[in-house]
Amino acid sequence: MSSSFLRILSSSAAALSRWKLHPAAAIGIGLPRYNRGFCSSSSSVEESSTPSSGKTELLNLEEVKKILNDVHADDIKVIPVPKHYDFADHMVIATGRSEWHVRNIAQALIYRVKQKQKGAKRMVLPNVEGQEVGKWIVIDSGNLVIHALDEKVRAYYNLEEIWSSPKTSSDLEQAPDLEKAFVKIRPKNNSKKRPQPKA
Amino acid sequence: MIQPQTHLNVADNSGARELMCIRIIGASNRRYAHIGDVIVAVIKEAVPNMPLKRSEVVRAVIVRTRKELKRENGMIIRYDDNAAVVIDQEGNPKGTRIFGAIARELRQLNFTKIVSLAPEVL
Repeated sequence: MSSSFLRILSSSAAALSRWKLHPAAAIGIGLPRYNRGFCSSSSSVEESSTPSSGKTELLNLEEVKKILNDVHADDIKVIPVPKHYDFADHMVIATGRSEWHVRNIAQALIYRVKQKQKGAKRMVLPNVEGQEVGKWIVIDSGNLVIHALDEKVRAYYNLEEIWSSPKTSSDLEQAPDLEKAFVKIRPKNNSKKRPQPKA
Repeated sequence: MIQPQTHLNVADNSGARELMCIRIIGASNRRYAHIGDVIVAVIKEAVPNMPLKRSEVVRAVIVRTRKELKRENGMIIRYDDNAAVVIDQEGNPKGTRIFGAIARELRQLNFTKIVSLAPEVL
């Protein structure tokens, strides 16, 4: 916080000096210019502070894993999303013991995001869904989607099955199917076959 | 362009087969609903031996429309059918699997749950 404040001070000083350097700018124009300089400095502070926390990603995988471990979420699974999906990079699924616990998991993650951006002018928060009822909360932070679910709900929707196994298994299934498709099989014609019991 | 009396297909395994829109949620005098809008619908046809029955009133999110969907980049998406996914009051889908392609706009409209169950996102 103190560093960003310092930066604001220094950049505003720079703006001031700029103003002093250009006496052509009348006072009436100079004042807004000063303000503008201040504004741009604050935005530059934001830009400079966010890359350290990762501007594109609000949360990274290691952090999420650590937080989930800290709040004692059960059965944490990280599933890499297949490349052709461009839905997200990773999907994290965690189980809470109760609705309260599920809500707490979500709160912990949001708190972490907020802490990371402390001091920034404009906070970017992830998209949270289903927070009122703690059965299934999705935290969508762009390239990382975190699902916190109740035990029953997790069993009901079975998200792992969609995102982990079918991708690979369907790919494997497709290959033999293609091989079969090229093999000619003569269709059996049973219509002219004599019924068996007579013989 | 979904309005009351429009029949929609169901794009999940909740047990309903056909819905009829009876109300669009969101504004008092809204005429048409588009992708990502929540509607109130009646189940016109249902799969036997499933929890959802005929003539039940449910909420649903529209996921596909015949009316084209325009994107900022000039892309236009038009589906072959009008389809919806049955949800409950909290926004959780009633079914566990979703069929067919789904537009990416649903994610921006806070239906990430539906998107994460979908097999294909356009």
